[in-house]
Amino acid sequence: MVADAPWYEAALLVGITNAVNVVADAFEGSSAPLKPVAEEGAPPEVEALFADIRAFYARQEIPAPFALMAHDPAYAAEVWAAVKHAFTDHHLSRRLKESLAFAVSLTSRSTFGTAFHLAEMRRLGVGERGVMEVLGVTQMFSSYTKIADTLQLEPDMGHIAPEDPSPAPGGQAP
Amino acid sequence: MATVRLRDAAEYSAAARRLFELSKAWFNYDFDQPPAMSRVMAWDPDFGGPHGRAMKRAMGPGEFTRAEKEMVAAVVSGVNACSY
Repeated sequence: MVADAPWYEAALLVGITNAVNVVADAFEGSSAPLKPVAEEGAPPEVEALFADIRAFYARQEIPAPFALMAHDPAYAAEVWAAVKHAFTDHHLSRRLKESLAFAVSLTSRSTFGTAFHLAEMRRLGVGERGVMEVLGVTQMFSSYTKIADTLQLEPDMGHIAPEDPSPAPGGQAP
Repeated sequence: MATVRLRDAAEYSAAARRLFELSKAWFNYDFDQPPAMSRVMAWDPDFGGPHGRAMKRAMGPGEFTRAEKEMVAAVVSGVNACSY
């Protein structure tokens, strides 16, 4: 992964995963102050949104954060478009993307994200060994990062990776 | 700036310097001085040894490639807001 494109893709995925998790975890449980939008009686744009979400995840139930965001259908549709794009196969496979999202969710202690992306990993064919691999990497680098932060270590390995001279998508090299 | 003085490789014991050789091989890069994290881990080889082996076991190829796992590691570091 010497080119920058996969890393840009991963970073956008991390951001939108965290955004979805924040809403899901904040409004989890029956006492949450904001309830999910019920599909029955929902406006057509919400029905269409939910149908697209169902198709993407190949499951009947709508993930909680999208049912919450659907109180503002236009907003929910834009967030969903970003999520769908971020998780679609491109430079990185959807299987790896779900695994990255699982690592993000574990690291940020998101109960929604951890369960959701673990289920997606399995649905996309990641076995128990693969789950343990991601768990192990997440755990070990949660150790390294805290050791580095405690001692305030400065980055000293950035130079070992080559720089990608290619322009931004659709752009021209300088 | 680090809150401790990072010792040069020459200041470490022979057992600790063995960890530096493993580090060089792992990164396939000939560092002038071992990376700061390697020097921290080599401070206590009884900790750094098993920690490093656990890391290598987790990072080795399996269902995911090493490159994919490096990306998982980078993502975890990003979420932990770790600049190192």
